[in-house]
Amino acid sequence: MKTKNIKYILAAGLLSCGLTATFTSCSDVLDEQPRSQFDTTFFTTKTGIEGGLTSLYAHLRYFYGNGYYLNSCETGTDEYTYAESGSGQNFTSLDETNQGAITSEVCDAGNLWGTAFANINTASGVIENGAAAGISDALLAEAYFFRAFDYFLLVQTFGGVPLDLGAGELKFNTSTVRSSVRNTVPEVYKAIFADLEKAIADLPENPRLTGSVTKNVARLYLSKAYLTFAWWLENPRNIPTYPECERKDLNGLSATQYYQKAYDMALEAINNPGPYKLQPTFYDVNIATNDRNSEIMLYADHNEDEKYGNGGAGYGWGNGASPENFAHWFECWNYTQLQAKLASDPTKTLAPVQREAVQALGRPWTRMAPVANAFMAGGVWEDAVKAIDSRYDATFTLRYYTNWDKSGNKEAAVLGANGSQIKPNEVFLSWVPESEDSKITYNADNGGGFNLGEMAGRPDFVVAVNHISRKKYPINWKLGIYRTDNNGGLGSKVNGGNPRPFNIAKFSEFYLIAAEAAVKGAKGQKTAYDLVNVLRERAGKQTFSVNDNVTVSVDNSAAMVAATPTTITIDYILDERSREFWGEGYRWFDLVRTQEWEHRAKTYKIAGKGAGDITLETFTRTIPAGHYLRPIPQGQLDGMEMSDEEKVNYQNPAYRN
Amino acid sequence: MNLLLNQKAWMLGLVLTTSQAIPVQTMATEATNDVTEVQQAKQVTGRVSDSQGALVGATVLEKGTQNGTVTDMNGRFVLNVKQGATLVISYVGYVAQELKATANLSNIILKEDGHVVNEVVVIGYGTQRREAVTGSVANIGGDKLNQIAASNAAQALQGRVAGVQMTQTSTKPGEEMQIRIRGQRSLSASNDPLIVLDGIPFMGQLSDINPAGIKSMDILKDASATAIYGSRGANGVVIITTEKGSQGAPAKVSYNGYMNIKTVFHKYPMMDGPTYAKFRKYAGKYVNSADESDDTDTDWQDLYYKTGIGHSHDVSVAGGTNGGSYSFGAGYYHDESVVPTEQYNRVSVRGNFDQKVGEWFRFGLNTNTSYRKNEGRSDIGGVISQSPLSSPYDENGNIKRFIALQTDDKSVLTRDVAESLGDLWVNENKGIGTYNTLFGEVKCPWIDGLSYRINIGLNFRSSKNGNFTGTGVLNKDENAVNGGGISENQTRNWAVENLITFDRTFAEKHNVNVVGMYSAEQTTYESTGASAQEIPSDLFMYYALDKALGQANLNGYNYWQSGLMSWMGRVMYSYDNKYMASVALRSDASSRLAKGHQWHTYPAFSAGWNIAREEFMQDYKWIDNLKLRVGYGETSNQAISPYSTLGGLAIRNYNFGDTYKAGYYVNALPNTELGWEYSKTWNFGLDFSLFNGRLSGSFEYYIQKTSDILLDISMPSTSGVSGFTGNIGKTENKGWEFSLNGVILDNKNGWNWEAGINIYQNRNKLTALASGADRDEANRWFVGYPIDVIYDYEYDGLWNAEDVYEVTLADGTKTTNLDILEPGGNLGMIKVKYNDDVLDDKGVPTRKIGPDDRRIQSMEPDLLGGFNSTVTYKNFDFTVIGAFQIGGKVISAIHGSNGYVNMLTGRRGQLDVDYWTEDNTGAKYPKPAGAGDTDNAKYASTLAYFNGGYLKVRAITLGYDFAKLQPVKNLGISRLRLYATVQNPFVLFSPYTNESGLDPETNSWANENTAVGYSEYSGKHKVPIIGYNTPSTRNFLFGLNVTF
Repeated sequence: MKTKNIKYILAAGLLSCGLTATFTSCSDVLDEQPRSQFDTTFFTTKTGIEGGLTSLYAHLRYFYGNGYYLNSCETGTDEYTYAESGSGQNFTSLDETNQGAITSEVCDAGNLWGTAFANINTASGVIENGAAAGISDALLAEAYFFRAFDYFLLVQTFGGVPLDLGAGELKFNTSTVRSSVRNTVPEVYKAIFADLEKAIADLPENPRLTGSVTKNVARLYLSKAYLTFAWWLENPRNIPTYPECERKDLNGLSATQYYQKAYDMALEAINNPGPYKLQPTFYDVNIATNDRNSEIMLYADHNEDEKYGNGGAGYGWGNGASPENFAHWFECWNYTQLQAKLASDPTKTLAPVQREAVQALGRPWTRMAPVANAFMAGGVWEDAVKAIDSRYDATFTLRYYTNWDKSGNKEAAVLGANGSQIKPNEVFLSWVPESEDSKITYNADNGGGFNLGEMAGRPDFVVAVNHISRKKYPINWKLGIYRTDNNGGLGSKVNGGNPRPFNIAKFSEFYLIAAEAAVKGAKGQKTAYDLVNVLRERAGKQTFSVNDNVTVSVDNSAAMVAATPTTITIDYILDERSREFWGEGYRWFDLVRTQEWEHRAKTYKIAGKGAGDITLETFTRTIPAGHYLRPIPQGQLDGMEMSDEEKVNYQNPAYRN
Repeated sequence: MNLLLNQKAWMLGLVLTTSQAIPVQTMATEATNDVTEVQQAKQVTGRVSDSQGALVGATVLEKGTQNGTVTDMNGRFVLNVKQGATLVISYVGYVAQELKATANLSNIILKEDGHVVNEVVVIGYGTQRREAVTGSVANIGGDKLNQIAASNAAQALQGRVAGVQMTQTSTKPGEEMQIRIRGQRSLSASNDPLIVLDGIPFMGQLSDINPAGIKSMDILKDASATAIYGSRGANGVVIITTEKGSQGAPAKVSYNGYMNIKTVFHKYPMMDGPTYAKFRKYAGKYVNSADESDDTDTDWQDLYYKTGIGHSHDVSVAGGTNGGSYSFGAGYYHDESVVPTEQYNRVSVRGNFDQKVGEWFRFGLNTNTSYRKNEGRSDIGGVISQSPLSSPYDENGNIKRFIALQTDDKSVLTRDVAESLGDLWVNENKGIGTYNTLFGEVKCPWIDGLSYRINIGLNFRSSKNGNFTGTGVLNKDENAVNGGGISENQTRNWAVENLITFDRTFAEKHNVNVVGMYSAEQTTYESTGASAQEIPSDLFMYYALDKALGQANLNGYNYWQSGLMSWMGRVMYSYDNKYMASVALRSDASSRLAKGHQWHTYPAFSAGWNIAREEFMQDYKWIDNLKLRVGYGETSNQAISPYSTLGGLAIRNYNFGDTYKAGYYVNALPNTELGWEYSKTWNFGLDFSLFNGRLSGSFEYYIQKTSDILLDISMPSTSGVSGFTGNIGKTENKGWEFSLNGVILDNKNGWNWEAGINIYQNRNKLTALASGADRDEANRWFVGYPIDVIYDYEYDGLWNAEDVYEVTLADGTKTTNLDILEPGGNLGMIKVKYNDDVLDDKGVPTRKIGPDDRRIQSMEPDLLGGFNSTVTYKNFDFTVIGAFQIGGKVISAIHGSNGYVNMLTGRRGQLDVDYWTEDNTGAKYPKPAGAGDTDNAKYASTLAYFNGGYLKVRAITLGYDFAKLQPVKNLGISRLRLYATVQNPFVLFSPYTNESGLDPETNSWANENTAVGYSEYSGKHKVPIIGYNTPSTRNFLFGLNVTF
């Protein structure tokens, strides 16, 4: 009996231990403490708000450097059309050649819409929470800048957009309201002007961090906003706006006054450049090794660090999605399809120009092609321009150097034009001026069915620029990839995003903004002629030839100035803007602002999609006035809780079914 | 005396269930208090069975005394009796037998008296005889379960139980199934049922449990049954009971093993060389690259797949001790895929022990532990999209590194390449799961039938993933830097349950069982990870990422903890096995919800009426059993991510030149109102058994309404915030289930034939969305339609010349309907359905086809079910098991635009489909390189939707039991069965299989195994699809079961 009792006591002891454990350990079972994720209260702390500021910069990567967004800014203009692999609706519809219509579903401008409002809200959150958390006015000014920056892009692209995200106008939204009301264009501009004026007042002269915004960056956007709003008020070609409203400034100023304000603001910035200045040559602006130079005022930064420089997307293989910088793939034709006969055995071939992670080549997606007429007589790159303007050489990859040796292929040489041999790192294919075309014999088989031409005395194959096709065309060199880890090979990360910053705004634009305002009547110390010539003189100077891959010492400044018309027109400003900013995403905005879209881009010429196509066809665009605004994305309409009628009215009129 | 009896009954309860309450059919005796020592002169053991097998809970009484016991789960009993005593063996519904108490009574067979009542069902916190069950509970025994050799129980359960849908979500070895009991009800929260392993909620994965060690699975389907699990039971409950020993029984040793040969069920149907060459020429978009030629015909899949070999071994020992029982076992499972390098290995051990301590106490332990390793690296998409016109070999017969197509450089991946890479191309997952339950129990010495029990669950699961790609591996660049990554996670869980049970029978006919419980549990999850490039030596693989010279990142860090507290009470009452009722009330509080909204209480009741036991039914002798059931219950769901009430920030890091900064922005709003999602369910059931059990079955109808659904609500862009989690919306599930089992031949000339079928239908629909809207297109949710629908254009054939007519516009220009509806379109492009309002009264289209023409298309099957049939003759047994689905839709990504293997452009490997040409206008697939998006034909997404119906024979088994042969029996072997099985032998009536030859079952989640994941079907509410995962296989098994 005794042992039994002990047994019972032990057993009972065990059970009551368990029971006690239950009740004591349960007291905090229902409490929550996150350890690996942020809750929203973090956004009211100093670190959180500073992180908010960083995300304002990081958001730039969600459209700048995004090839689809670039497509919406270039395809359909007088610079670009869809290329061979750009047969998707989002490319063909933007081309406006009646090959599929722009709709709320397929328009790539939606990339902006989908990103901007979250950023506007973050900026508002920084502004609202910042002061209490001890954030300086200079830092808050960056938030004011970005709020205006996003609204400015939105208002140009979509017309009037909502200032109230759910919690009141320009307030940080924490409500779960799923409806939206669009403000009018003057209301949005009024908010933009106020924010940018505040930003200019409080921002520092010099950036606090590499690439952070300054007074002059804010001046650039304010002068551009004044200029754009002035055009909107003037409305020379009677383009409709939406939501419908009177073309009247809420501050009571006229179009003329805004042209003058744009001019004055640009001049003020030119005269007080701060850390910014023009680079000595156009090449210096765009060569990868000189990224983040003094001329670049704003960029969506990237570097080879995967976590920070690429937002964690990884550099091994890109799928073409933000935050990668993959825009350069789109304006790059598939040069890797070229085939060359081996010198040692002409029955065999190899790919002489292989995919390489260098600025001149890169990953070829063949989505967007430059229109051929731009390179021909009457175009911005006509032969007379090519002869003296270094911007031609530093904008396009015109020569394709062989690189098969870098893939490990030991083949000594391939057959070139006229029975010659081409060795590694020699030119295989060149784009030559229109004037040379008559001297070229095209052969359909050359290059493996690419119909490349041969010119007497030249070992390389040639194609004249008046045979630019949707399949082969000069690559936009400025946007090209650059990596430091190719190690003498082709670069194993050629298929990833570009670790270069994507340039958004340049000091040079002040000259063109002021010149445009001057054309529209603004007066001041410099005329439009003076202003454009600053850039043209610079474009005459060349210290390095990209396509010849040699140092040169060329000064065509005088010839450049001599070629400048004495009377500067809007057309000429647009020509200059094209030469300065070709294919970088400015174009649609320029044409829409000046209402010259239909006028300048009505027809274009290009050869077909086939590898051998060299015969130009003329395409005519139908650009309805309603298309000067892009469609509100379908996701927005789907996501709103509003009546069908309200949703229909939310959409810009040209895109209602 | 009575006390002694009850004590035995208690033991039995433990043995039976290892779970908690003990509603055992005790002897109908008057309660007396005379505790006299019985003179125990002799111990008898025995086993009671009926024609079907072991009879559980039969009463064994020493005649003329109160000394007795009841049989255990295996029908066994042990009783000390006086010399020369007579035993009376009785059981409700059976004719009682009297026998001399000899030492060994191993084969007592009771005859049924017309009412079959032999099944014990685990109902949660207790067991019940099948006859007394009032909720909707299905049971499948371990023997039935293991008729299908499978790596986890869900695979084996597929198609076996009405209302329980198992969906394959990956064909890789060792992967899990999706389990849905009576459909789905939640949009963002989990729809997975609660799994209870040996009494404690199971936080692991089913594949951690060796199915060979499972004694039975019980599935609680309706809320009156699941309500006792409260918030955990909203999606149904699967109770797994592992093998137990039986008290006093001699040790039984078993071995079960098989070997498995796996072959590809059907290759992905890609074009061969000549077909492709012709196709590419017709498409006219791409020409052969330097690596291709029209006279080459390479079947890249043949070069890649292999025959997979698998085997499984399981050894177990079970028996009894004095006052206790034990069972333990170990298993090894090896499963190789047909894809080289892919394999799964699992070593599992399990143990079960319980022991009486003194008169009043009992302690026990269950443990299930397994180690698993999942390996394999594959690129099926890469293999099938290789051009058949390219050869993996160069002119010297050496394998090439890559093939350059016109626009793609594709690495050469063959079986030889994959196998030779070895440690240079690795992805492996290793982990341990250990699930342990301890219990202690004390019986109240003063009140008969009252006891207290504590269950403590201590569970742990870990997982470590490592991946590595060596220098230049499968990269065009031989010197491409190597890279590896690791990630580790562990889940820890504890649970404590305190139970008070009162179980007693009054006045012979009033049986009362009362359970009260207080419980708490907490789960903690942690994960870490890192990745790095340029590891100095390929030998390091992923083991020394700290040595990396290149970029290294920490990633995948996560932590969460969540807890649940509950009170529960339940009363079950039955009168004379004729009328039964059960009432339960449970209160749960979850840490995941907002303060002030954490607690919720839900009631449940159910009642049953066994009509066959009424006097007026006594004339209908052919009706053994006829029971009507009705139940109502409320349950709820809190299975949202922890911390959802708090909102969140998204991270956007940035480099300012070389200065690195972390960026944050608010992307989810806090919700201080976040509360429970809850469901109310009515269930009506009819169970019947006729002709002495020759035909039995049940029919159930249920309706379940779920409201305050927990939802991640996405906001329009203009809100500036992507979304928040809220209680929004209502759903409804209605359905019926019918199962029927029959004994067609009952020992007719030695032949026995049993067959069973189950059929069920579930109709799911959303009945309300946020603030009264009737559609949420962004999330694909539409009021009045099921939760999962396709919202897309609807395929309506191809545009052919006869569909096109000329129209004259108002301004007099002539054009065609095609040019208006499809600007830039061409003959042979996909035609989709469009709304009638597009056409004006003259038949002239007024607009192009656009987003408004998208259609809501249900994916829900009309009927689902399964069947099985077993024929035995002498020592042979022959079983066929199958499953079927009628209607419904399946998404085959490989046929649509997401797979990039049906691009119809000639860019890379192409599915062998019937494409449109001028000479083949009746084709299903559009004209190659016609109107399209960037890479695919326009509306190509519609090509992915197939009728999901099929009938699939899952297994055919032929076995022979040598143990019935006398020489074998003489060796003491009670079972020695050899069998051969063919799994997945064929599929019938499947439009998908008929067209493509492929298995119609899904094999991937919507975000996997396609070139582009279906973002709209991914996220929290994921949908399984057919992608290019590891191919389905047809398996040939040879197995052995031995018991001695």
